Amino acid sequence: MTLEVMVGNKAAATAAKLSRVQVAVAFPVTPQTTIVEYLNEFITSGEMDCEFINVEGELTAQVVVQTASRVGARTFCCTSGPGCLYMHHPMHDTSSLRLPVVMAVVHRGNKGMQPDHTDLMSHIMTGWMQWYAENNQEVLDTIVMAYRVAEDMRVRIPVAVGYDGYILSYTAEPVDVPEQEEVDDFLPPYKPKPSIMPEDLDLRRLRWWRTPWEEHHKAIVEAKEVIKEVNEEFAKRFGRGYGNGLVEEYRCEDAEAVVVAMGTIASTARDAIDRLRAEGKPIGLVKLKCLVPFPYEEFQRIGSEVDAVGMIDRNVCLGVGGVAYTLIRSAVYDLEERPRVLGFHAGLAGKEVKVSDVERMAEKTLKAARGERVSPLVEWI
Amino acid sequence: MTASRLIAEAVAQEGRYAQAIPMYGTERRGAPVTAYVRIDGRPVRRRDLVHEPDIVIVIDPILSGKPSVAAGLKSGGLLLLNLPKPPEEVEIGGDFLISTVDATTIALETLRRPITNTAILGAFSKVTGIAKLESLKEAILHRFPGEIGERNVEALRRAYKEVYPPKPAKGPLRPGEEEPPHVTGYGVLKSVADWRVFKPVVDLDRCISCRFCWIYCPETAISLVDEKPVIDYDKCKGCGICVHECPVKAIELMRETL
Ligand code: SF4
Ligand code: SF4
Repeated sequence: MTLEVMVGNKAAATAAKLSRVQVAVAFPVTPQTTIVEYLNEFITSGEMDCEFINVEGELTAQVVVQTASRVGARTFCCTSGPGCLYMHHPMHDTSSLRLPVVMAVVHRGNKGMQPDHTDLMSHIMTGWMQWYAENNQEVLDTIVMAYRVAEDMRVRIPVAVGYDGYILSYTAEPVDVPEQEEVDDFLPPYKPKPSIMPEDLDLRRLRWWRTPWEEHHKAIVEAKEVIKEVNEEFAKRFGRGYGNGLVEEYRCEDAEAVVVAMGTIASTARDAIDRLRAEGKPIGLVKLKCLVPFPYEEFQRIGSEVDAVGMIDRNVCLGVGGVAYTLIRSAVYDLEERPRVLGFHAGLAGKEVKVSDVERMAEKTLKAARGERVSPLVEWI
Repeated sequence: MTASRLIAEAVAQEGRYAQAIPMYGTERRGAPVTAYVRIDGRPVRRRDLVHEPDIVIVIDPILSGKPSVAAGLKSGGLLLLNLPKPPEEVEIGGDFLISTVDATTIALETLRRPITNTAILGAFSKVTGIAKLESLKEAILHRFPGEIGERNVEALRRAYKEVYPPKPAKGPLRPGEEEPPHVTGYGVLKSVADWRVFKPVVDLDRCISCRFCWIYCPETAISLVDEKPVIDYDKCKGCGICVHECPVKAIELMRETL
């Protein structure tokens, strides 16, 4: 392992290289652009044996990556904001065809250049798994793990790995880059299924290729077990795990309340939690890493252990509310003793989220846990 | 930006953690940008920007004279400026130290271009000791192999030798008594006026009210009053597109005065 100072986009490109991606397809869009540049540097220098296919837009990018995956190549795609939205329709096909495409989504919100999670969350119904990373190390590790999970015969579902544009894409920090052999041992070559060679192809079975809704839904839900397994194995081999692969609990022991955060806000929240714990306040952090499939069981357990949960959403489903807030409330509904669930919309359109902001949200959640009146229940930071 | 990454790479070689955060916006090439660096013995986790720095480094010689660059600087902190005069002659004052180096001259003599971000690092190394000269040299050579790298190392070494040691800031001008400098960022900018080297000025008599400048200005800095263009200079970044588009050459670029 070597420690290299790199930006988030280089970590993503390096993960694709280490995963021995054979076909990469992308259309450049800020703040994803430099992933495309790094990939092409790796390819021209001979470090990476990969076909990079230039396309005229993201819709084509998704169709080409899908086709390459179908004919047996390990594939990588990357996008941001408007580009991510532009590929919506073929994303449904990629997942319905059960193709293990892995795509980095460098968040750029839907109202301008600045980052929030609305780009990827707009795809919540496409049948892609959605994972969110909080630092450049996690970007690299998560993409490598994504191939293992996506290509597992029990899963075969594409994965989008989201990380905040600018805040990570262009921020440089040390990343532990694993050796190629270690990654090779962890990630065996991709085997397409079914074969599309004429001698194997049974045209009558083509219907199978479009997974029916119920089966498709169950396949994604069942992927949770595989995600946990792969995360555990990754942790054993590389010495870095991410909670149970779905959620990561930080200083939650004896907590009366927890705040839940995703992506870089979770990273900032760690410092806020340390400060509050130093003051003796019993509050912890839950990092929501995997939004789809949603970890209902984990939130039921956490919900039964604390008296209040404060969800910080870097998104809003307009007219509905915070995506994760809504899901967490739904998860704890069946509990005999439900915690109070507070919502916060923070960091939308790239608005800076400071350590002190998280402290304030956490303290409000702790107040709610102690039965004090808090209002409003959902707050815009 | 390059300077912030080089610092991060240098301290990482010395076994510490660093985070180098550049700020991006709708830039214009050559416009000053802000970058932040956090250095710690353990991984840096917070992802907000640095509002109360221990050290402020100003690479741009024009901004170096503005007291607002020290806004937020911690008491007892250090302000390192690219200026061709000793700290005693700097007009800025406050509860901090000032150190200066003529990075522009050093860059012109070593790189033959006014690119000052490696020179300033030599001064940074000397006055703070946070990154060793040797590790900065390694970081530079890794990034710029060959002759360019060697010349940058030369700039680094010269600034290390020529920097004026820190002195208490005793000048009459205090930070906070004027608007903070407007450098690019991904938040909302109040003004991009500081980016301008040239300023577009409209000759209203010549203008035929064709509205070309109004439609082409990428910053929507131009509005029409009685069918004539009025430029909001807080929004104008001095790109010169309006000048280029005007069919009757009614807009001229004038050099900004300091
Ligand atoms: S120079 Fe002209 S086109 Fe450019 S920002 Fe200023 S007013 Fe707009
Ligand atoms: S482009 Fe020139 S002529 Fe046309 S409105 Fe602008 S200043 Fe007037």
